Amino acid sequence: MNTVLDLIFRLAWWLILAPLLPGIINKVKAWVAGRRGPPVLQLYYDLARLWRKSVVMSTLASPGFIIGPAVAWVALLGAVILVPLGPAGAALSFWGDVLLMLYLLALARFCTAWAAMETGSAFEGMGSAREVSYAVLAEAAMVAAMLSLCVQTGSISLATMLAPSAGAGAVLLAAGLFTVLLAENCRVPFDDPNTHLELTMIHEAMILDHSGPPLAVILHGASMKLLLFSVLLTEAVLPMGDLSPFAATGVLLGGVLTVTVGVGLVESLLARFAFRRVPLLLTTAVLLCLFALLVAWKGGAA
Amino acid sequence: MVSAGCFVAGIAGGYRRPRTWLALTVTGATAALGASLWVLFGSADWEWLSDITVGGERLHLRLDALSALFLALLCVVGATGALYAHEYWSDRHYPRSAPRGRAWWSSLILCMGLVLTLSNGLHFLIAWELFTLSAYFLITLENKRPAVRAAGWLYLAASHVGTLVLFAFFAALASHNGNWDLGPAMREQAGLAPLFWLALFGFGVKAGVFPLHVWLPSAHANAPSHVSAMLSGVALKMGVYGIMRFSGWLPVPPSAGWVVIGLGALGALLGIAFAFAQNDFKRLLAYCSVENIGIILIGVGGALLAVTQGDAPWGRLALAGALLHVWNHGAFKSLLFFSAGSVLHATGTREMSRLGGLWRAMPWTAGLFALGALAVSGLPPLNGFVSEWLVYLGLLGSITGKAPAAWAAIPAVILLALAGALALASFAKAGAMIFLGAPRTQTAARAHEGGRWMIGPMIGLAAVCAVIGLVPALVWPALARAAGCWHPAWASAESPAPLATLGLVHVALALAVAGAAAGLWWKSRINGVRRGLTWDCGYATPTARMQYTGGSFADIGVGWFSWILQPERSLRRLRGALPAGAFHQERIPETVLERVITPVGEGVIRVSSAVRRLQHGRLQAYILYVVAGIAALGGLVLFGGKP
Amino acid sequence: MNTHLNLLIGLAMGLNLIALGSSRLPSLIQVVSAQGMLLGVMPLLLEHEWSWMLLAVVVATVGGKGLVIPGLLRRAMRAANIEREVDPLIGFVPSLLLGAGGTIAAVALSQSLPLLPEHAGLLLVPGAMASVLTGFVLLIGRAKAISQVCGYLILENGIYLFGLLLINSTPLMVEAGVLLDVTVGVFVIGIIVDRIQRAFDSLDTRKLTVLRE
Repeated sequence: MNTVLDLIFRLAWWLILAPLLPGIINKVKAWVAGRRGPPVLQLYYDLARLWRKSVVMSTLASPGFIIGPAVAWVALLGAVILVPLGPAGAALSFWGDVLLMLYLLALARFCTAWAAMETGSAFEGMGSAREVSYAVLAEAAMVAAMLSLCVQTGSISLATMLAPSAGAGAVLLAAGLFTVLLAENCRVPFDDPNTHLELTMIHEAMILDHSGPPLAVILHGASMKLLLFSVLLTEAVLPMGDLSPFAATGVLLGGVLTVTVGVGLVESLLARFAFRRVPLLLTTAVLLCLFALLVAWKGGAA
Repeated sequence: MVSAGCFVAGIAGGYRRPRTWLALTVTGATAALGASLWVLFGSADWEWLSDITVGGERLHLRLDALSALFLALLCVVGATGALYAHEYWSDRHYPRSAPRGRAWWSSLILCMGLVLTLSNGLHFLIAWELFTLSAYFLITLENKRPAVRAAGWLYLAASHVGTLVLFAFFAALASHNGNWDLGPAMREQAGLAPLFWLALFGFGVKAGVFPLHVWLPSAHANAPSHVSAMLSGVALKMGVYGIMRFSGWLPVPPSAGWVVIGLGALGALLGIAFAFAQNDFKRLLAYCSVENIGIILIGVGGALLAVTQGDAPWGRLALAGALLHVWNHGAFKSLLFFSAGSVLHATGTREMSRLGGLWRAMPWTAGLFALGALAVSGLPPLNGFVSEWLVYLGLLGSITGKAPAAWAAIPAVILLALAGALALASFAKAGAMIFLGAPRTQTAARAHEGGRWMIGPMIGLAAVCAVIGLVPALVWPALARAAGCWHPAWASAESPAPLATLGLVHVALALAVAGAAAGLWWKSRINGVRRGLTWDCGYATPTARMQYTGGSFADIGVGWFSWILQPERSLRRLRGALPAGAFHQERIPETVLERVITPVGEGVIRVSSAVRRLQHGRLQAYILYVVAGIAALGGLVLFGGKP
Repeated sequence: MNTHLNLLIGLAMGLNLIALGSSRLPSLIQVVSAQGMLLGVMPLLLEHEWSWMLLAVVVATVGGKGLVIPGLLRRAMRAANIEREVDPLIGFVPSLLLGAGGTIAAVALSQSLPLLPEHAGLLLVPGAMASVLTGFVLLIGRAKAISQVCGYLILENGIYLFGLLLINSTPLMVEAGVLLDVTVGVFVIGIIVDRIQRAFDSLDTRKLTVLRE
């Protein structure tokens, strides 16, 4: 009975809380710009509306056009289930689950890119080409961050890796992971989710042709991914394991909120980078995580 | 024994009667598969020392867990390939080469089986050479085409360089031991360690280890597809088998692990970078094999490092990952080459930029290719992920333990992750360019699905991929036995990795995927699905030629690796108000072959042709050479000799 | 004390990488000036007794490296109408990777150097080596004269870090002398830059090869 309740609580956290984040980001952006902005719950309304709408499919698209988003959503759900939630721990934890999480994110990426290419549109080709190429560097940064946590804690299971703080390299790690968060979730300065020019988009260009329930699933998956990265960032940097359950919950919520507001501020204050600058920024993220790894290595040895 | 008999009969009888040959091959393969599975999951090794002598040596066959692992793969791919070839390379389409193809196919399987079981250096070499030759004749089945002949020659030349080194290796081994017998007893003789480098080079050529892979892309691309599947899925593994066998049976130098893991990591990254850049889908698959061999070598290197650092238990995981990847790569790469063969069969072109939209005509092939692409990118819940996961666990074990090996493991893990992400990009590209969108040419529009002889084997291989992915605990006993055979200290059946948990997660994931896909499909149906043109920024008549091409898809990644890929571009831009036609061509050369080996070879030829001028047939000059030689010797004695 | 110092040196090493990755001259100059100021306050942390002399040197270093020299460079940029792009000969990502590899190698190398026990836990030596290397990468890999000056300044910062090792045995006057040299050098370069600009209409050092005879 307890496990069922636990699972329901978890799914509720991830499924219901996730669409809040883009709303908060938009609110922050509006606040900085001095506008009132859309309601915080806007994405919920959008999702509900899209879920009721009919689907327009390209004449060229195969059933993969609809199956792809579904698989991507399940992969993201699988990834978030593996992530421990502060005091509640992880629903399922085993030796090496961190790799499963990384590869589930990759599965989601593959399916989104595949579904985008279904339509034969050059814009969606551009979007997926950028997505899969930049993901190469983002993946390297993620793995370097993972390694630094492995070295720090001597474990390769998310629940124990994320419990203590990241030690001396925490600042480096936080900066690196935040950059990866921006890149993987297609936020400014890598991508502009609000742009109206297809040529400059990454994620949005991939989903140009999607509509109705598949689009709702994609948008919801994207918001879950954002929540996943903010939770990861918070738990990687802060010593969640040392706090009392109440404090840990508070810290977790506060951390996620801080990250979200941070994303909103970055979006308000920075312009999107030229595409040729993107690899440079991502390389910087890789190096930051790599230096965090070295600091962790040296810190443990001394 | 039954299987060997079947293959011999197959060579003799299958020449004219394809159905008999097929039955014999499948029976033989099944018998051998049974034998190898019995060894892998049973308890005892099988050994047979006959009184028959070949070349003065007694025939000695030995099937232990390590060879059984490779033999099982050989049987699966051999049988499915034979079934596939029944339609793909049928007598009706290729009346001249199909009978030859059958004979050489049987001979190839037989010789590889012998390589795996023979336990005598001399016989091993003979079988190795026969296997190389059979593969050569299979590659050049279509010997009318110059590209095929060139690829065949390159393969033969490279293989013989490897064989030459192996000859030196076995000869040195035999002279050291006093006989040609091979076996685990050699492990104790520390003086044999330097021979490992010879074995690594000789077997590395066959395995396509990164700088030695030069023959691989053109041979795999130009061979008939079932042969490519066999070459990539199994023949490369013979090289891996050699490296594993003799690193297990011989003592290895202490630096071996570092070198092997370095070669593996380099090969994994650069192999997949080359694959990403290719426009010919069979070449893409071929380079991807270089990557996968790299992954296997990372595992082997990790295991070697663990052995030199006190038999650390994480080495066993890395080794098990490498062994499982041998099976997995065999299964999914054969599946992918079979689907590539179906596409080639249907359209007659290997250029991805001439294809597109094939899913409509070939739904089965498209679906199975997608499954293979997921598996080869190492994505859960399929088999590729399980083996990569085991390799990762091994490497991470050394890192969390802060073993000295971590200095190799950290870069290897990062490069492995990079290679994984690039593999994903490559196969997103390949699948999308071949099967999705609109057909780019007329031939692609007229494609047709392969028949049941072609689809059936592909479904079988896909099932293997799915089963290993969903129930990885099933194969663990086999891996544990093979690992124990490689290093006796690791001979324990219990699994240190939570494979059963991973299997359950994979099953749950697969069910959830099926449920969500069906649910979303059903929901979309209920809401209503309307078909419309692809939205193209308001442009109402998009044509197939406006689609993104493979070259553009890979452009960002190729830019990062242009230092090694050295793409050759020729383009004419649009100029003026009424521009004439524009074009853009790109070719990715095989850098190691064309930028390193060919120039060196040309240099050697230039030097030797200059030297040849000395040999012109004039007797007087020859006498002058002799005198000059004697004078030089005299001078050496006078001035350079000992004081 | 040591942790604070290490933090500063770590920051300086991070600035090295930012210098390698920055594509605009003003930001490059900013990075150099920030690094100069960071290094300038370091003697305060190293020296146990404060003296007027020390304070004077610190103020001079911070002022010179952090304000005067960057100011001169900015003026030279404005005077010579130089475009803001850095114009790399070695791309940004490769130079960044080079710098990072060099930094890691410097840390690894300093572990095996026979250092005095009081310096063993400090990042001084690796920081110095990394800065010198960064300076060289900038000197080799950038085309414009201003960015070369920046490279030279980072190189000098590395030498200064080495100098800090000897702070107890060498009078600070030596450092002051070096600083003076550099300031004069930058003056001279500033003037030369101006002249070159007038003569050639360009500051691309590649075009200066005509002058080799």
